[in-house]
Amino acid sequence: MKRWTTIIGRSGTTLIAISLALLLVSFVPSISTHTSSGYGPLGSGRMNILVYARNFNPQQQFVGEVTVEGTVTLYVLELTLEFNFNLSSITAFGYNFTSADLQELLEEQPEKILWEHTVENEDYKWSYSPTRVMNATAVAYTDPDSENDLFEYTVSLRSGLAPKDKVQAIAYFVAPVGVILALPWFISLWKQRKPKTE
Amino acid sequence: MTNMGKGKPFLEVLASAFHEDYRFPFLELFAFFYILGTFVLSNFTGSLTSASITTDEAVAYSIASSFISGSLIVFIFLIFKNIAYGLGNELEKGIIQTYFSYPLKRRAILTAKLLSAIGVALLLFIGIQISALYILAPDVVLPQLNIVIITYIANLSYPLLITAIMLLITLKLRRGGIGLIVGIILYFAISIVALIAFFVAVTSESPLFLQILSVISPTYALQYHYGGGLSGISTSLLVPWAPTLSEVLLYVGASYAIVASLFALGYIYFSRRLNL
Repeated sequence: MKRWTTIIGRSGTTLIAISLALLLVSFVPSISTHTSSGYGPLGSGRMNILVYARNFNPQQQFVGEVTVEGTVTLYVLELTLEFNFNLSSITAFGYNFTSADLQELLEEQPEKILWEHTVENEDYKWSYSPTRVMNATAVAYTDPDSENDLFEYTVSLRSGLAPKDKVQAIAYFVAPVGVILALPWFISLWKQRKPKTE
Repeated sequence: MTNMGKGKPFLEVLASAFHEDYRFPFLELFAFFYILGTFVLSNFTGSLTSASITTDEAVAYSIASSFISGSLIVFIFLIFKNIAYGLGNELEKGIIQTYFSYPLKRRAILTAKLLSAIGVALLLFIGIQISALYILAPDVVLPQLNIVIITYIANLSYPLLITAIMLLITLKLRRGGIGLIVGIILYFAISIVALIAFFVAVTSESPLFLQILSVISPTYALQYHYGGGLSGISTSLLVPWAPTLSEVLLYVGASYAIVASLFALGYIYFSRRLNL
């Protein structure tokens, strides 16, 4: 057997092994570490903080499902939130981030927008995984020019081994390349096998 | 044979060594476990919880360390198998003598054996690790590439030191069993020694033991540089030692000097003293 056939063939079988391992990794389910949900109209010019993650990293993702009657824009922002809690007033607690702050951020710091999608009269499923570590916040926002009658959402912060889509895409690319490289080696092995003695 | 250049016999020995070290499906199995170890055993969320992880550099170090820890053990098993079992077996059964019929110096034969045993394993390890890291966190790796490279170099120093010790024992005893046991003990002993060094440093308020340990395994100097000396827990308040990055590089250099001198001893022994 030619040495090059063996080298290329073994490279191919190694790629097949890598793609099988990646597929196995992608099938390990992620776990939800935080879930929030809500229901009701989101008035014009108003915002709803869906989920916040400190040290949001590439092994985590936001996974959400929304039902919208009207128009709502979903954003994932690179944003650090702090929770204000004022004991003197029962209504004075919440995040230190308002609709006005969001409008200002959208206009003046567009680089903080990591992902956005406008949902209009539909059920929409989405997910977002970062490629670096940051503090991130997912928000829903109704533009002052838009109207919204219903906004129902469930958003969770999930932790897993790796983003499923990314890993599966690589596995599906690597596996056929491996098979193509390994095929000549397998054929020559098949030809070299000893015939059965009667 | 007389017209054969030196390159071809070297490649013959290398191919033979590769054939012995990575019989089907060993290479494939180890590649499979490299991937599993890389993804399954890494935990970014856990490694980023330390209060000392505040800068981009510390984040890159933390993520790279978390990534290495999982598949480093697979890499160590592979080189242990190749050196203690592979080379040990060949020495014990006298197979290595057949290589001496090639028009090659002994050191070239050992180089071919080590290239196969360690070089290929290292290439596979680094290739899979860097690709996986780039796929998962490109915006962490690229801006802090120097930190990621230093983390890898520092983490590989101790396994290579054990490998060099195993090589010496295997060459001296001409069998791999004892070398393998010593390698496994050394691999697990470093964690216990690090823990003892940490407590000695806390109680005596002197980082001397940690500094000595860092010469053998510079990954500890890097850990203390980023303030997470004990399994990601911030220890900067407990231990009076925070080496600068330049000092860390000195520890890395010193540890590789030890590794290189041990391998040089192995070469000298194989070339001059090994009687088969």
